[in-house]
Amino acid sequence: MNKLLNIANGVPRQFVRDYAFKSDLKIKWVRPEKISCIRPEKSGDLAKLPALSANELLPGYKDSKELESADETVLSLFKLSNNPNHLTTRYYRDQMIKEVQRHAQDYGSMEAKLAKMTASIRRYQEHMEAHPRDKMIKVRLKELIDKRKKFLKYLRRWDYPRFEWILEKLDLVYKPPPAHFHWITRKESLQKLTDIYCEKIKEERLEAYHKELQAQQIPYLEDAIKKMVFVRQEQIDCDVPVTVTEQQIENARQELAQLKQLREAEAAATRKQSDETFH
Amino acid sequence: MAARGLLLMGQCMPCIKQNASKIRIRRMELDKNLNMYFKKDTFFFAHDPKKLCKTGDVVLIRELPERMTRLITHNVEKVVYPLGDITDPITGKKVVVGKYREDIEMANQLFGKSAKGFDYEKAPPRGRLEGSKDFTHGETYIKYHEDGKDQPFAV
Repeated sequence: MNKLLNIANGVPRQFVRDYAFKSDLKIKWVRPEKISCIRPEKSGDLAKLPALSANELLPGYKDSKELESADETVLSLFKLSNNPNHLTTRYYRDQMIKEVQRHAQDYGSMEAKLAKMTASIRRYQEHMEAHPRDKMIKVRLKELIDKRKKFLKYLRRWDYPRFEWILEKLDLVYKPPPAHFHWITRKESLQKLTDIYCEKIKEERLEAYHKELQAQQIPYLEDAIKKMVFVRQEQIDCDVPVTVTEQQIENARQELAQLKQLREAEAAATRKQSDETFH
Repeated sequence: MAARGLLLMGQCMPCIKQNASKIRIRRMELDKNLNMYFKKDTFFFAHDPKKLCKTGDVVLIRELPERMTRLITHNVEKVVYPLGDITDPITGKKVVVGKYREDIEMANQLFGKSAKGFDYEKAPPRGRLEGSKDFTHGETYIKYHEDGKDQPFAV
């Protein structure tokens, strides 16, 4: 654009730079903020782990008869919240596996594995929020997320109904990886945005031209009918062979009537839509 | 060329065009210098108004007598292998990786089938999660611009 303007304004040729081209278009590029790969929005976890109820006992002591009659201090020793963290993780994991497993002994099927990983991932994510500098857990979490994604990829290929079911059950989002990796640069992003901008302009102009042509349709047909009637009358009056038939005129009239009907229906539809948006 | 009505088998790829599916035909090409075969992909657009094939399906396409649009040259004939819903061609039974679905079901029955587990009979046809949880029907891209709107296919 610059270059064209320079040529049009008669700027001497030796001063025109044709490299490092800069666009005049007012396109603002905002670099997307980097989201850490361990965040739920990147890993595809839509749901969080449910909050632990305060009275939850250790899984092994749930049905214990002695604990029912035990006093407060003893009972508190067997509460999950007063015990090591990994027991809570194990509790969540078992809960999640039980939701999807095929039978009571199933811990090795794909869905059980995915459930197990999902529970650990969500637990680790909670941990990472509280302890952002814990690198060991961060690495483990990233590896788990990648592995789960790989397993989902396999499951999709092997068994699509089960894949969809597990996505729903575990509340996960699956997005396939992009075909090519590239770093995000200002230049390339602006090129893409410019392409989108140009495409939009093209579409708008085509749409406008289409409207313009449509507006000409009815007057053209009316004019054509008038002329056809006139020519036919003249030919009959002057005793020359008649080239315009009644049928042709009738066809044109029918076409016009159809067109008018169509336009009216369209106008009514747009009016209705605008009324609905207005109210 | 077009009069041949050539039949081709390929895999359906994600495609944004309406009424058409993008089909990848994969062949092996010999590199004479290295004396090795390399994958070579050719892409065709097949007319598919009913959206018979979904991403990943192996389909048969037939060449049209004349090209329909600038892009569309083929017609989707048949879905041969739907993705993740494989039938063993010899016995006609459904297969998951190395096992028949029947055998898996039998093992589940023997161990005491869980009521919460997955059931093939209750499973609806593919495609209900498109756009909400499963984004394999389109091409994903690395997010390059923040425009304030939701970009479902941005990674």
